[in-house]
Amino acid sequence: MSTASQKSQRVSPTIEVARLLEGAQPSPARLVCIFGSVDGLQRRPVVRYIVDVPGEGYRVVTEPVEGPIPSLTGITAAAAWYERELHDQFGFEIAGHPDLRRLLLHENWPGNFHPMLDSNEPLNWADEPYTFLKVDGEGVSEVAVGPVHAGVIEPGHFRFSVMGDNVLFLELRHFYTHKGTEKLFQGAPLMNGPIIAESVSGDNCFSHAVAYCQAVEQAHAALVPRRAELIRLIGLELERMMAHIADVGALSGDVAFAVPAAYCSRIKEDLLQAGSRVIGSRYWRGVAVPGGVARDINPAAAEAFHQAVTQAADEFAKMASIIIERPSVQSRFETAGVLRRQVAADLGVVGIVARASDVDLDVRRDHPYGAYQGLTFDVPTLHYGDVLARARVRIAETAVSAQLILNALEQLQPGPIRTEFRTDVAFEGFSAVESARGELLYWVRGENRRLERCYIKSPSFQNWPALPHAVAGNVIADFPLINKSFNLSYSGCDR
Amino acid sequence: MIFDVIRRSLQAPQRLIPAEELLGHAAGSRMPEFDPAHLTREIARAVSDVCPTAALKIVEVNGRQLLRMDYGECIGCGRCLEAGPQAVSVAKKLLRCGVRRQELVQHFDFENHAEVILEAPSPEIAKEEISRLLGRALNVRQLDAGSCNGCESEITALTNPYYDLERFGIHFVASPKHADMLLVTGPVTRNMAVAVKQTYEAMPAPKLVVAVGACGCSGGIFAVSHAVVGPVDKVIPVDGYIPGCPPTPSMLITGILQVLRKPRELAPD
Repeated sequence: MSTASQKSQRVSPTIEVARLLEGAQPSPARLVCIFGSVDGLQRRPVVRYIVDVPGEGYRVVTEPVEGPIPSLTGITAAAAWYERELHDQFGFEIAGHPDLRRLLLHENWPGNFHPMLDSNEPLNWADEPYTFLKVDGEGVSEVAVGPVHAGVIEPGHFRFSVMGDNVLFLELRHFYTHKGTEKLFQGAPLMNGPIIAESVSGDNCFSHAVAYCQAVEQAHAALVPRRAELIRLIGLELERMMAHIADVGALSGDVAFAVPAAYCSRIKEDLLQAGSRVIGSRYWRGVAVPGGVARDINPAAAEAFHQAVTQAADEFAKMASIIIERPSVQSRFETAGVLRRQVAADLGVVGIVARASDVDLDVRRDHPYGAYQGLTFDVPTLHYGDVLARARVRIAETAVSAQLILNALEQLQPGPIRTEFRTDVAFEGFSAVESARGELLYWVRGENRRLERCYIKSPSFQNWPALPHAVAGNVIADFPLINKSFNLSYSGCDR
Repeated sequence: MIFDVIRRSLQAPQRLIPAEELLGHAAGSRMPEFDPAHLTREIARAVSDVCPTAALKIVEVNGRQLLRMDYGECIGCGRCLEAGPQAVSVAKKLLRCGVRRQELVQHFDFENHAEVILEAPSPEIAKEEISRLLGRALNVRQLDAGSCNGCESEITALTNPYYDLERFGIHFVASPKHADMLLVTGPVTRNMAVAVKQTYEAMPAPKLVVAVGACGCSGGIFAVSHAVVGPVDKVIPVDGYIPGCPPTPSMLITGILQVLRKPRELAPD
């Protein structure tokens, strides 16, 4: 943020970030995201880094782009995809990046097109080949999976190099659902932002909408009424419960333990219906708006909602212990898809995946927002880093979420749910929430009720590069199970 | 322990929602419904001004000004409900699922407070023939052409014990080569366009295609994006459209059965 003082010392902001990441402090800083923008009427191209500095919090560092940008990938592997994205979207040159193949824009896009800089003219279709990394050697073969998968799943391509059943190497080729979402925000009215944010990743749409709204509120110094903060907390924790319950059920289904899988899908549906009765929308779409929430909790339905959450938590806890204590399940979950702590930390992994590999991060606790400020609650972590650990963390978190919802319901006092704030100003700000998948951050900038740029740091974009490390060394038949235990969003990553 | 699971399943109350309570219902979808009797020029203007996707707009047909409502573009944001509460309410029922694209559009003559039918729906013999051939067993292949995963979440819910799609003889298959129906979600992205065409071509005839959700029907909020080719029918032929953002499980079931012309047999009025 303090660009002026850094310039007087003639230290490039990128170098400053590099120093933070290499870290002489108690522990090194963590790279949260890197993104580009073209600021103001002068259309000044800049790169922004957000780093999480221990003992300080999030820090935003801005580097004007005047030539090639030094790559940070050599310092932290977590930077690799962010820099490839910059290269695709803005055409910025990245000096010293080991792999600048296309990421967001596949080879059917003209190579000189950079959507965040260029206008929206109809484009020619190109047809360049994509080169997968190749594993050589006798007996090595490749298995190609996707983009169209066998289940009701989003599209993405997985290229396995296998020796017999054993996976030697996995390469991801994603971004099939890339929809140019960040560009849709450009020029959009501030109040239309939640509509776009809700369509970034449909099963955690409420987290996206709340992160967007918080960023706008932070940028405008708007204060959200207490009742709205509590309603947001309830929605966020409900979304987490539903995600974890569905995931644990799906994991059970993936090892052919079908009855608990059906139970979990039923418990999730109970919560969807309870949520719909209390707020009018199954996935809480249209609820979060800048300044608060658009819909109040229906007091007539609040008691029944309280009961539904209590019952769902109770039933899920029992079903989860039946799943997790079953020897046939344990023998599949245990030691499958181990993500080692060091790899997780190097790749800046967040959320459940981090916490199951002993990387203790949780935005709710580390950077409290809204009604989480002043709360204390358990953040379960484990250090095994396998499918079992990820399942156990999900199970433990579901109980915590249920308790947070019940406490918030009891604290709800009558009052306003939305505040007006001055919008005829220039603004810039950001905010993060802990979505069911991990740290989700929105950065916004604009003027006079219009957005100039909105950047979305999605936990899935951060976590996908870690999946191949967890898969290598396993049999290919365990891939669906390991992938499910990560449960990353394709659309959230691809945007 | 396994006996505990079985005992629980036997003791668990019946969750299945009867077909007549599902078909045509739209609770929780946030779709609006219009009462032409209370529509005025002011309300028509107010609701079309606040609509973020142009699902609602005032159009001129044969010299008459009409309010056009396109459910295929509606994302259920609820702004029209706030702008015109006298004439707009949340739809509890919505039969426009699994219909032709034009049938998702309604026109209202707000001066004369009446709905205007611009075109009478024509029976499609080919489709009747397909449903006769397919009978009641239908294999569905779901295809995500670039969706946000909202529609997938609701499609997944179709197999839970409340909706149990299999009771209608419909189930999801792993390959387009096994499928009678392709259920396509999302706007077709540039990066997915080729895969969408190839998936369609891999299906054996006779085949049906259903476009799901605002994005599948019209491109939704992504229609204007540089990274999106367009709605599903821009890339492959579509037989039926299911609106919603996302459509609820009951709208999905209504839509799938409507494409097969089944709802009247299953739930007579």
